[in-house]
Amino acid sequence: MSTSVASGVRTVRNALPRLAGVAVITALGDVHSPGRIAARAVRLTVSVLLVHWLWSALYRGTAQSAGLTRTQALAFAILSVLITQINETDRWIARDTVYQHVGSGTIIYWFLRPMAARRYCLVRAVGDRCYGLARAAVVYVVCLAVGLLTAPASSSAAAAFAVTALLGQVVVYQLGLLVDQMCFWMVKNGAVVAILEFVQALLSGALAPLWFFPQWFQLFSSLMPFQATLNVPLSFYTGRMPVQELPEQIALQLAWIAVLTTLTRLLWRNASDKIQSQGG
Amino acid sequence: MTMHPALARLRVTARIVALTFRASLDYRGEFLVNVLFGAVYQTSVIVFASVVLGRFPGMGGWPAHAVLMIVALRMLSHALFWLFFGRIATLAEFVQEGNLDALLLRPLPVYRQVQLATFPSNAFGDLIVGVSLFVAAVLSFDVPWTPARILYTAAALAGGTLLEAAVYTTLSCLHFRFPAAVQWSYWTAELMSTFGNYPLKVLPRAVGWAFTFVLPLAFIAYLPTGVLTGNTAGLGVPAAVAAASPAVGVVAYLVSRLLWNRALRGYTGING
Repeated sequence: MSTSVASGVRTVRNALPRLAGVAVITALGDVHSPGRIAARAVRLTVSVLLVHWLWSALYRGTAQSAGLTRTQALAFAILSVLITQINETDRWIARDTVYQHVGSGTIIYWFLRPMAARRYCLVRAVGDRCYGLARAAVVYVVCLAVGLLTAPASSSAAAAFAVTALLGQVVVYQLGLLVDQMCFWMVKNGAVVAILEFVQALLSGALAPLWFFPQWFQLFSSLMPFQATLNVPLSFYTGRMPVQELPEQIALQLAWIAVLTTLTRLLWRNASDKIQSQGG
Repeated sequence: MTMHPALARLRVTARIVALTFRASLDYRGEFLVNVLFGAVYQTSVIVFASVVLGRFPGMGGWPAHAVLMIVALRMLSHALFWLFFGRIATLAEFVQEGNLDALLLRPLPVYRQVQLATFPSNAFGDLIVGVSLFVAAVLSFDVPWTPARILYTAAALAGGTLLEAAVYTTLSCLHFRFPAAVQWSYWTAELMSTFGNYPLKVLPRAVGWAFTFVLPLAFIAYLPTGVLTGNTAGLGVPAAVAAASPAVGVVAYLVSRLLWNRALRGYTGING
């Protein structure tokens, strides 16, 4: 038993450098293009400031709306900008999206490498999100320091935010993967990706906190996986959702993760049968 | 009998549009989803604007029908922009894949070839929602529709379309050298769809100024609607400048095309 555990640990230790090498590809690409890092920093800073000014202006005539105070709405809006940008990695410019590979036929190499395509996607996604999280953390600290943002409502709210935000990222990854996998059947998925982005922005609360929407819309969004990605963690952060609801929300997120993971695994299995390259 | 060159070019353009339309139908699923995408995109803007308007009335003292007209003008001019000029926002793809070099060899202007390269099927969705909202805004507009006002509205739509084309054409000049600059185009689209729908006077003066003179989205819908409704106080520019918004669109587009032609002359393909 101990021998097999030791062997397992050895296998993981040997694989770690290779996994890390794959995970840092996007970050390394940016490091070699300082202009891109600077441009991203400018865009992020301006976005945060604009969102701050917009919501401050909207709250000028009122102290509270839909149960959200000005401070809560500002925290919600700014954090939604920071969390949304975690996924905004520029894989297109590196010509390493499923869409590009399927279009050019190079997707076949994903299935010929020593690392399985499914694992490659996962490791890249983990690396990309760690990189995005680092960017978000820097801006978050600056926003806290200059008073644009308030700290979480309580330490338990902070913990609830951290857990649900992490699970939310898994949901976002699975949804994105599902859309990517459509390329194996549709060849082109640009429109589906765009629709997913907009539906996600709308139903997750990225456009505006879901608390502002009518009751029927909130009910509808609660039946979808999107609100688990942003609205739930941010509602915990701002104290708009009581921490007592944490077990229920985690259970919902886990249920969505289970459904989506099952679906994407099934599609990976079928995808390899669909691949044609350079004329089949 | 030889055909007039302008007529011949128009005929070639029409034939290419017909071909790209047929080509886009080859991916029928993608075509239908594209149309749906246009509609979903525009609807999400409406939902956001209506939620904000419903929860926070009194947008800088503007009545609801005027704010609705801002949203309608911006969305319809965006739909028209996408129909006629939208491909320029993704010029980076041509550059990165080396396809621009082929366009340089053909006897049609490169800018036009970029526009004709794919059929903008999602513009159908944009137009369906844009026209519907525009009709709703016109019906609820609390100001008499005189011939002058109708003409000015048509001019504002054309000016807004050209201004949006000017913004993306200018940004696409960067794509010739830095394809990664396409991110700036995406970001600009996000800014325009978020901040183009309000009376800019609700924002701090400096932000309103930036949205008038740096990223001039005020000229697309906000300033023309101010003129149409008579809300010309506190626009951030004199009333005469606001009234000239359609002309600003035309001039901006012409300038952007000059810049683009200059950038194209400096383009170096992968073969040097």
